[in-house]
Amino acid sequence: MSLILRWLFDLGVRFGRTLDWMMLGALLALMGIGLVVLHSASGGSPHLVIAQGSRFAVGLGALWLMSRISPAQLRNWTPLVFGLTLVPLLAVLFIGTGRHGAHWINLGVIYFQPAELIKLSLPMMVAWYLNRRALPPRLDVVLVAAVIIAVPTALILLQPDFGTAMLVAVSGAFALYLAGLPWWWFGTAFAGVAAVAPAAWFWLLKPYQKDRIFTFLNPESDPLGAGWNIIQSKIAIGAGGLSGKGWGQGSQSHLNYIPEHTTDFIFAVLSEEFGWIGVVVVLALYLFVVGRCLWIAAEARDGYSRLLAGALGLAFCVYVIVNGGMIAGLLPVVGVPMPLLSYGGTSAVSLLAGLGVVMAVRVYKPVHAR
Amino acid sequence: MRSHRRVLKNSHAEAEQFRNRALLAFSGVVVALGVLAGWYFNLQVLQHDEYATRSENNRIKLRPVVPARGVIYDRNGRILADNVPAFRVDVTPEEAGAPDKWLPGLAEIFSLTEEEIEQFEKARRTTRGFRPITLKMRVSEDEAARFAVDRWRYPGVELVSYLNRRYPHGELLSHVIGYVGRIDEDDLKTLGEANAALTHIGKTGIERSYDEALRGQVGFERVETNVEGRSMRVVGRMPAMPGADLRLSIDLDLQQAMADAFGEFEGAAVAMDPRTGEVLAMVSLPGYDTNLFVNGISHADYKTLIDNPSRPLFNRLVLGGVAPGSTLKPLIALAGLDSGMRQPEDRVMSTGMFYLPGVRRGWGDASRGGHGWTDLRKSISHSVNTYYYKLALDLGIERFAHYMREYGFGEPTGVDLVGEIGGILPSPEYKMQMRRERWYPGDTVNASIGQGDWKVTPLQLVRSIAGIADGSLRRPHLTLEQRGGFEAPWQALPQPPGAPISSNPENLQVVREGMAATMQPGGTGWRMALGAEYTMAGKTGTAQVTSRRDNAAVDPRSLPLHLRHRSLFVGFAPVEDPTIAVAVAVEGGGYGGSTAAPIARKIFDAWLTGAMPEPAADEPVPATIAESDGGPAGAETPEAGPAVTEARR
Repeated sequence: MSLILRWLFDLGVRFGRTLDWMMLGALLALMGIGLVVLHSASGGSPHLVIAQGSRFAVGLGALWLMSRISPAQLRNWTPLVFGLTLVPLLAVLFIGTGRHGAHWINLGVIYFQPAELIKLSLPMMVAWYLNRRALPPRLDVVLVAAVIIAVPTALILLQPDFGTAMLVAVSGAFALYLAGLPWWWFGTAFAGVAAVAPAAWFWLLKPYQKDRIFTFLNPESDPLGAGWNIIQSKIAIGAGGLSGKGWGQGSQSHLNYIPEHTTDFIFAVLSEEFGWIGVVVVLALYLFVVGRCLWIAAEARDGYSRLLAGALGLAFCVYVIVNGGMIAGLLPVVGVPMPLLSYGGTSAVSLLAGLGVVMAVRVYKPVHAR
Repeated sequence: MRSHRRVLKNSHAEAEQFRNRALLAFSGVVVALGVLAGWYFNLQVLQHDEYATRSENNRIKLRPVVPARGVIYDRNGRILADNVPAFRVDVTPEEAGAPDKWLPGLAEIFSLTEEEIEQFEKARRTTRGFRPITLKMRVSEDEAARFAVDRWRYPGVELVSYLNRRYPHGELLSHVIGYVGRIDEDDLKTLGEANAALTHIGKTGIERSYDEALRGQVGFERVETNVEGRSMRVVGRMPAMPGADLRLSIDLDLQQAMADAFGEFEGAAVAMDPRTGEVLAMVSLPGYDTNLFVNGISHADYKTLIDNPSRPLFNRLVLGGVAPGSTLKPLIALAGLDSGMRQPEDRVMSTGMFYLPGVRRGWGDASRGGHGWTDLRKSISHSVNTYYYKLALDLGIERFAHYMREYGFGEPTGVDLVGEIGGILPSPEYKMQMRRERWYPGDTVNASIGQGDWKVTPLQLVRSIAGIADGSLRRPHLTLEQRGGFEAPWQALPQPPGAPISSNPENLQVVREGMAATMQPGGTGWRMALGAEYTMAGKTGTAQVTSRRDNAAVDPRSLPLHLRHRSLFVGFAPVEDPTIAVAVAVEGGGYGGSTAAPIARKIFDAWLTGAMPEPAADEPVPATIAESDGGPAGAETPEAGPAVTEARR
C-alpha cells in the first residue's frame, strides 16, 4: 500500500517537475473558458463539449509528454521530425479531404490535419538550423532558412490553405527574427511580398479567397454573400457591450447568425455573451502565455531552445491577433482558429504539444546549463 | 570547406540579441493585443447601441398573422362562404436561388402546370425577392407528405397552411356572393404593405363589396428567428382582427327555388321584401362555379366560361340593362295620377293602332282590334299601350323622365354590390348627348311602353315595384347583420329609410288594384295565378331586343335566343300585405305572361306556401364547425349558424 502511495507521489513530483505551473494555470483557464463558451455556442449540447474536453485531455497528455523531452534530445531529432512531418503534408495533397481543398487526412477514427504538425516542426527546424550557424545570420544562412520555410509553406498553399501557410511561414520567420535577422531583410521581404503578391493573386488564390479579401475591404458590398460572416460577427461582438448578454444568451450565435460559431468564430460568441470584459480577460491570459513563453526563452541557455520557445510563443500570439482581428473586421478572414477556444482537435493538441516543448525548455534549463 | 568548419558562436552576444529582440517582440505583442482590445472596445462600448439594434433587428422578425376571412351566412344561418384549411407552396426567390435549381424537383412533387410556373415567373419579376411567392395553392395531402421528405433540398420553399375560401353553393350564388381571388400587385397598392400577407381579396359580389369587413386586419407576431428565417419563439404579438361574419338577407331555399323555377331558361330574377328592401333571393342565370376562381382560374376553364354565348360571368342583375317593356306601366300610371294628369276613372279609347299627327307609321296595341275604352286599372291589367301613349304625350317627356327618375330609374339602386349600372332613362338630354339627335314626340310614345332607349336592371324594377307594394322606395340590400368575430354579437347593418313613392296613398291603391286585376281572369297574367292560395299583383312585359324596324319583318322565333324578346314580370304578393316583390327577366322567353310569370309564380309559391325544395341529401353545407375545425390559430370558425327565428312571412 505504502509502495503504491510512494509511487504515486514520485509520479506526481516527476510530473510537477516537468511543468510550468504558471503557464499551465493560464492554459487551463483558457481551456475552461473555451469549454464554457463552446457549451453555449453549441446550443447546450454536451457532445461538442465532451469531444473538445477529451481533445484537451489528449493535448494535455501531449504537453506533458513534450515537456519531458529534453530540448537537447529534441534538437537531435529535429531534422528527422521535420522530414517526417513533411510526408503527411505531401500526402494530404493526394488523399486529403476538405471543404475548400485537401486539408485533412481521414485516419478512420479522426480527421488529422498535417499542417498542424508543421506549425511545430518548422520552427524547430529553423531553430535547429540557425543554432548551428553564427548569429546574427548572414545572407547565405538566411537564404537556406528561407528555403526551409518555403517548402512546407508552398505545400500548404497547394492544399490550398492560405491562412495556415502564412501562419506557418510566420512561425519560421519569428525564429529568424529572434536570431537577429538584420532589419534591412524585413524591408526586402516586404518588397518581395509586394512584388510576388500580384502573381499570387492570379496563380495561387482561389476565387473564394479573393472574395474574402474583397469582402474584407468592403464587407457591406455583399451583405448577404461573403460579407455576411463579418457583418454578423461584428454585430455579435458589438451587441455584447461592456459586460455581455450573459452565458447562453447570445442571440446571434444561438439563432445561427454567426457562421462556424463553434470553430473560427467562437470568439465572437464569447464577445457577445461576456462582453468587452470577457474579451480583455481572455486577451490578458493570452498575453500572459506569450509573455511567459518569451520569458522562458530568454532564460534558456542554448540557442536552439531560445529560438524555438520564442518562435512558438510568438506564433501562438499571431493566432490570437489574426483570429481576433478577422472576426471583428480588422483583418481579412483567413481560416485561423482561436487558440484553445475554437472547436477542433488537431489545433488544440499541436498547440499544447508546442507549449509542452516550451515548458521543457524551462524544466530542463538547469540540467542543460549547469 | 566552410560548411565543415566548426561554427564560431558568441553565445553571450546571441543571448543578448535574443533578449533585445524578444523584448521588442513582446512590446509588439502588447501593442497588437492592445489595438485588438481597443478595437473591441470601439465595437462593444462605443458603437454598442448601433450593433445592439442591428442584433435585435436580426433576430426579431415581424411575422404577419393572417385573419380568417369572415363567413357568409344566409338569413337562416346556412353557410354560403367559409374557409377550409389547406396547404400551399410558397417560394422565397432570394433564398431559393435560381428556379432551375429547384423547379424541376418541385414540379415532380407537386405536378405543376405550365400555367402555375408561368404565373410564378410573372410574379417573380414583379415581386421583391424577399417576399414569398405562392407557387401552388391547395396542395394535396399526398403532395405535402412527399415534399416533407425532400424539404431539406429546397431552401426557401415552404409549405404554408392557409384557409382556402369555399363556396358550397358556388354556382347558385355566383352573382351574389361573388368570389375572392389572389391578390395581385395592384391590389397590394390599395391594400398597403401591411396587408401583403393576405393572399386573397374579394373580386366580385358580396366578397368584393364587403371585402374590408370580411378580410379583417392582419396582425403581427414578433418572432425570434434564426438565420434561415425559421421562427424559434414568439416574443410578442399584435393580434389579428378576424374578418367579420356576414348574415345575408338571401334565403338559400328561395334562392334554390328561384334558380329551379328558371329550368333551362336564362335570365335574372330578384325577390325582395318590400317592407325592408331585403333581397331574399337573386339569380343571374346561367351562373358559374365561383370556387374555380379562388386560387386563380385555369386558362381552359376561363375560356369555357368566356366562350359560352350565354355569358355566365355576366351579372344580369346589376349589369344587364334591358328594355323594361310594359312592366313600367304601373309606374307610369302612378306618375299620371300623381301629376294630376289622370284620374283613375279617366278613359281612353284603344282602337288597336295609335297615330301621331304627321307620322305615317303607327304604334300598335297588343290586341289588334284594340281594347276599347280603357281606364287606369284596365290599362294595367290588359296592358293597353294606347293609354300610355296618350298619357306620356300629355305628361311630356320632361315630366315623364322626372317621375321615372323619382322611381329610381337611370341611376343605381344602391344595392350593396359593386359595379352596379344605372341603366338608361330616356330623355331629350340623353338622346342629344348620345346620338346628337333631337327628341321627337315618337320617342315619347316609345318610352311610354318601356321601349326605345330604356335600359333598366332587374334590381331597379323590383325596387320600384316593391315601392308600389309598400309605398316606400327602399334601397335593396343583401346584408342583414355582421359580427366582428365568433364571440361577438350580431349587429344589424343600418339601412337608409325608404322614401314615399307617392304623396297620395289612394293613387297607389288604384295602381295596386290594376296590378291585382292583371292576375285575375281577363288580365294578362291570369293563368299564372290559377289555384294560388294567396292573392298577387303583377305586370307582365315583353322587351324587344332588336330594333323596331327589324322586328316588324322577322319572326322572333327564328332569331337566336339572345336576340329574341325578353319575357318580363314584376309583381308582389300577397296583395293585402305584400311580403315579397319580384322582378323576373327571361331571355328569349317570348311574351311576359308565358315564361316570366310562371317563374314568378313558383317564386311566390316557394316563399308564401313554403314549397321550398327539399335539400339534397348530399348537400355540401357544413352544419357545424367540424369540417373547418383545426385551422391555424386565429382562424375564426363558425359554429352552427345563428338561430334565426324570424318568420318568413
